[in-house]
Amino acid sequence: MLKIIIPTIMLMPLTWLSKKNMIWINTTTYSLLISLISLSLLNQPSNNSLNFSLMFFSDPLSAPLLVLTTWLLPLMLMASQHHLSKEPLTRKKLYITMLTMLQTFLIMTFTATELISFYILFEATLVPTLIIITRWGNQTERLNAGLYFLFYTLMGSLPLLVALISIQNLTGSLNFLLIQYWNQALPDSWSNIFLWLACMMAFMVKMPLYGLHLWLPKAHVEAPIAGSMVLAAILLKLGGYGMLRITTMLNPQTSFMAYPFLMLSLWGMIMTSSICLRQTDLKSLIAYSSVSHMALVIVAVLIQTPWSYMGATALMIAHGLTSSMLFCLANSNYERTHSRTMILARGLQTLLPLMAAWWLLASLTNLALPPSINLIGELFVVMSSFSWSNITIILMGANITITALYSLYMLITTQRGKYTHHINSIKPSFTRENALMALHMTPLLLLSLNPKIILGFTY
Amino acid sequence: MNPLIFTTILMTVLLGTMIVMMSSHWLMIWIGFEMNLLAIIPILMKKYNPRTMEASTKYFLTQATASMLLMMAIIINLMHSGQWTIMKVFNPTASIIMTSALAMKLGLTPFHFWVPEVTQGISLTSGLILLTWQKLAPMSILYQISPSINLNILLTMAVLSILVGGWGGLNQTQLRKIMAYSSIAHMGWMTAVLAYNPTLTMLNMLIYIMMTLTMFMLFIHSSSTTTLSLSHTWNKTPLTTTLILITLLSMGGLPPLSGFMPKWMIIQELTKNSSIILPTLMAIMALLNLYFYMRLTYSTSLTMFPSTNNMKMKWQFETKRITLLPPLIVMSSLLLPLTPMLSILD
Repeated sequence: MLKIIIPTIMLMPLTWLSKKNMIWINTTTYSLLISLISLSLLNQPSNNSLNFSLMFFSDPLSAPLLVLTTWLLPLMLMASQHHLSKEPLTRKKLYITMLTMLQTFLIMTFTATELISFYILFEATLVPTLIIITRWGNQTERLNAGLYFLFYTLMGSLPLLVALISIQNLTGSLNFLLIQYWNQALPDSWSNIFLWLACMMAFMVKMPLYGLHLWLPKAHVEAPIAGSMVLAAILLKLGGYGMLRITTMLNPQTSFMAYPFLMLSLWGMIMTSSICLRQTDLKSLIAYSSVSHMALVIVAVLIQTPWSYMGATALMIAHGLTSSMLFCLANSNYERTHSRTMILARGLQTLLPLMAAWWLLASLTNLALPPSINLIGELFVVMSSFSWSNITIILMGANITITALYSLYMLITTQRGKYTHHINSIKPSFTRENALMALHMTPLLLLSLNPKIILGFTY
Repeated sequence: MNPLIFTTILMTVLLGTMIVMMSSHWLMIWIGFEMNLLAIIPILMKKYNPRTMEASTKYFLTQATASMLLMMAIIINLMHSGQWTIMKVFNPTASIIMTSALAMKLGLTPFHFWVPEVTQGISLTSGLILLTWQKLAPMSILYQISPSINLNILLTMAVLSILVGGWGGLNQTQLRKIMAYSSIAHMGWMTAVLAYNPTLTMLNMLIYIMMTLTMFMLFIHSSSTTTLSLSHTWNKTPLTTTLILITLLSMGGLPPLSGFMPKWMIIQELTKNSSIILPTLMAIMALLNLYFYMRLTYSTSLTMFPSTNNMKMKWQFETKRITLLPPLIVMSSLLLPLTPMLSILD
């Protein structure tokens, strides 16, 4: 694992020592090379985990997330080139350093064995993200967004620290590899109910759960493009990953404690999908769509069946790529018109036809068109929730319909129809932007040929 | 003032604290405290104006009262144990009186009212000495009598201090008052773990002193005493804005910075001793502290605060030499991976 972590840390001296015309080239190239190294982790020979050391391991759940994280760094760097082009050199280097620091913490989080180490790195990802959102965002609301982001997450995760330490007190070790063999049923008591809550709330806030999702639209909208990409693609998945890891320790309380959160998620995914239909702000629409997809993941994790875990993992990877691509597309609009309002930049198909092709593909994967992995994820979740309770099929079906509605609404509003007269002087698409979209879409489409690598550890 | 006299007075302050920390006779402790108090008054009053006079008077009155209460506790202890050696305190009344006296000296709730006002009235350097050096002596006595302190009083004072330190700092824009409330909150954290594992109190004290020292040095460097003047540092020395950001986040207790280490260790110690609600409450209330540190970073490092054109090329006096700033900054932000070394303290 150090063969990924140390090169990522060394990206920071690379940034600071590069010359002015080479920083983007250097960092993007080397981060792409690092992502190629991480691909080797996808070869998981057995159902058990690949153990690298006492402190780092990788298993069929964390390997796809790790590959996604390392894949995303070059994409973030490519996407940020335009809006940082006017900044002085030191600030560009600072921005890249923040991204690299965030990347390091994320890699270490996904591969940590010891749960307290996971916690510290989970919290550590907040600091660079906060700095990226607040320092490089574009509107005054970014200050509020940063505060909401920081405090919602911290309020949820401080009880998690206490819960982890008390679990260590009870079981003697928090090393994840050991705990999966020591698992005993938690006795039924009030304090264990609070233990369950304390463990899960941190990840619920991060996912986010419907009632606690207030930070997400703010943070996603106000962040610069790299911030939005990493937030949507990876940071939300930290919550899902944490929940998948920690629910193995929390039986049998989950069978009854999960009900309120299941209700909130099932209702919330319909509510947030419906809100998407009424959005005028493009990034806000994509942010609410993230909440809706993540609500599906929460439902899947709380049901705790093998198929639902497969669906959750697949959905996390698929949504990461799709949502990040949608944010890149929205950003390409924003860079041209400097506005996020959807109707101000409509009819783009006549002006930028290739970008329209990417918009089409992104919207189609967002609405979970077969045979993409989005469909596999959603389908597994719908089927397992149907077997958990037959009535959920109504809500799930409604959600799929509304998702299709708003994805197509977004596509039609931005691409089809007559273009407005004020945008016929926009610049044509850069090769960089087309490359960005292709690099998002190609893994997504290729994974539909062999989805078993992203189906997680219950395959 | 005359450098020779200043040196003598400063040495007396140091000597007073040293006497408190190193003696084994209760009377010498009291003498050390009094020496410390009398010598620090001229240091607090370095600039001679009515504000510092008022601040010094408030400080003198509270600390003198605390010393007298301490003397009373010592005498009751003498009556009940028959000897002057410092070990634990032999009588519950004496223990309660001594705890209150030391709380008054430290600035724990409900005896915290003097801290913001005194810190605000004096200069930045004197405030630095007040909030760091002066805490060493009372804390060392608390460490030594820790087996016999009444747990109810101690924990109540700790939790209330964290609350007051958090809420009180919310409405402040003056930097010295912010540091004062931060000091109250940190003292609360330190005393909470005193009954369980006094070593962690010392760890917290050490890291708190490092971080407060760093913050004050950064304030002195930019000669700023209000949030508004601190927000002009992006003009003068842009690098210090990053340093202020890192140190403030460390004070707020965010991982992966070293300010997280004492909080983590304290929460761990309290949880392992089966008190679960207390550390959860303490951790959540520390978020209040984090809020006003964040506000400070917002105006200083994360935005370029608007300023008039004259301020952009600000004429300033010669650059102050700040001793030890780089090592202090490194230590107050990067120490977290060294946490396993705490096992050497056993």
